[in-house]
Amino acid sequence: MSLEIQNLHVSTDDREILHGVDLSVAKGETHALMGPNGSGKSTLANTIMGNPAYQITEGRILLNGEDVTEAEPDERARAGLFLAFQYPATIPGVSVANFLRTAVNAGRDEPIKVKDFGALLRENMELLKMDPAFNKRYLNEGFSGGEKKRAEILQLAMLRPQIAVLDETDSGLDIDALRVVSDGVNALRGPDLGTLIITHYTRILRYVRPDFVHIMLDGRVVREGGAELADQLEEQGYDFIREEVSAADAS
Amino acid sequence: MPPSFLEQSRRSALEVYEREPLPTWRRSGFWTTTVRNLRLDELEPRHHDPVASVEELPEVAREALADDELAGLVVQRGASTVHTTLDPALAEQGVVFCSLERAIEEHPELVARWYMKRLSADEGKFSAAAAAFWTGGAFLHVPAEVRVERPFQVVYVIDEPGTAQYAHTLAVVGQFAECSLREYCLAPDLEGQALHAGAFELYCQTGAQVKLAHVQDWGSGEVYDISTKRVEIGRDAHCSWVPIHLGGHLTKQQLDIVTAEQGSDMRHTGLYFTEGQEHLDLFTTDLHEQGDTTGDTVWKGALTGDSRASYEGLIHIVEGAQNTHTYLQTHSMLLSPKAKADAIPSLIVQTDNVSASHGGTVGEVDEELVFYMMTRGISRPDAVRVLVEGYFEPVVQRLDDPSLEALVRARIAAKLSAAEQQVAAYAAER
Repeated sequence: MSLEIQNLHVSTDDREILHGVDLSVAKGETHALMGPNGSGKSTLANTIMGNPAYQITEGRILLNGEDVTEAEPDERARAGLFLAFQYPATIPGVSVANFLRTAVNAGRDEPIKVKDFGALLRENMELLKMDPAFNKRYLNEGFSGGEKKRAEILQLAMLRPQIAVLDETDSGLDIDALRVVSDGVNALRGPDLGTLIITHYTRILRYVRPDFVHIMLDGRVVREGGAELADQLEEQGYDFIREEVSAADAS
Repeated sequence: MPPSFLEQSRRSALEVYEREPLPTWRRSGFWTTTVRNLRLDELEPRHHDPVASVEELPEVAREALADDELAGLVVQRGASTVHTTLDPALAEQGVVFCSLERAIEEHPELVARWYMKRLSADEGKFSAAAAAFWTGGAFLHVPAEVRVERPFQVVYVIDEPGTAQYAHTLAVVGQFAECSLREYCLAPDLEGQALHAGAFELYCQTGAQVKLAHVQDWGSGEVYDISTKRVEIGRDAHCSWVPIHLGGHLTKQQLDIVTAEQGSDMRHTGLYFTEGQEHLDLFTTDLHEQGDTTGDTVWKGALTGDSRASYEGLIHIVEGAQNTHTYLQTHSMLLSPKAKADAIPSLIVQTDNVSASHGGTVGEVDEELVFYMMTRGISRPDAVRVLVEGYFEPVVQRLDDPSLEALVRARIAAKLSAAEQQVAAYAAER
């Protein structure tokens, strides 16, 4: 199982945001995609998931070798893709439990038994140190920033995708919440899950060590390396990359 | 021989009925409710024999009453009361629950004290018709300080085309008494026309606590419902009223709540779902006659097909009703490009030192939410269904009555699944 992004050009509101991105994430690997604000990270996340607000003008997205560039978001999800949103939607009147049951059942031929669902939900809420009363609340309605992010990771845990994209899951979290979320992600890591962690900052990478780091600047991936690249970024900031890139362009 | 108050009331109502033309309700030029297609001359009251058990009731009533533990039941089929029950333990405590006809025979003074206290035969042709021609009817009296947990249930059934049903429910809840009352208006999918012209009045005396629910589902036949429902809340009394409109070819209703004395408090939560060619025209008033009263009104609707729904909600705070706090909101969700909705909150405040606010929206299914749900593997039709159910859920929960909540949820789900393809296609094309 792998996600392959090939020469992806993406526009929104008639403006090109991504100018040819190549990226591969295989099952069992943890990747970090880093970049400053406005570099196109969230555009990439949304495009991977099929958000209709973004138009692919060139390139393609392959899931397990199969072209899903034109697939509907629900088809991609059922094929094993997952996106934890930077700003998750609020679903009024739909409880966390009801939402999760609908989502879990969407990926199954036979609906899950009420008892099995309850056990699965309890187990994953414990993993994320969530109060059981949480599952009766309407999804994200009145949730704090940290609760919303935890609810996203809870969905990840319940749906067990093969490739998960975490879009700025660390933003807006205090250090305790960050630790809980990171512990959750680490618990789910393994040979069956490939992860693409999109982040502006390096702090989540102290808890979830990536195997590969990609740096995005102005709609392109400009540097790739191992975890040490993130460490270098933490020390020197994005400016050193920017300087290197413009020096390379000049020569 | 009917008592003189009834005879007088019927006589003056008949005069109004004969004098008044068939009404047309017009508002601001673009919204008209007309009954010009109603062939009133071809409709007549239909009489039926009583039945001994719920099992012998028409199917549409049987289904809605499944497994409910009730304090009492009054069922009117067409023009006749066909079935009544009342828990004998409650009868011993002085509770009266029976047809209005029988209550007038057995408790004429009690009925005379309240009958049409807040209703008038002179509110139009159909109010007059109901007052002049009603038969059967329902009467509830819960004496002071009696507390009843299980609901009292009134059912009006129309199961034959050509029926004219004139209905009247009168309920009086005594001082510090507590109870809940449900009134269902039901028909199967009739082939042909029918009319329900109804009057409903509830009086909550000092300190009474009342839960009231109306459920209307006239099916897909050509049933016209032109009714007036009015609730009066006395001193320090509370009423939570949840009218639910799930079907009817043409519905024109006036729903009013009066907080009539200091400390009275109301909660008014309505829901409608229209489909096909249905036409729904609702006017509600929250009338605050005294100060130190509170109100909270929320109406939510959804429309499919070519249906039209208009909700107009008025908050009226009269002179001297200071220190009143109330608000009203109404939301409509369009699920079809051909449906039309109006949401008109309005306000008349004739005093100072009050807080009153109102708001109204007409919207569509939020595509961003649909996308979010689809990223969880949920198909577009399922996403839309769950979103609409979620939109109604806070209203449904205000019923605070698990078996009734289940009934309403199931009916909304059935209506959504009937409209599924159309609704999903509309959401996708936007």
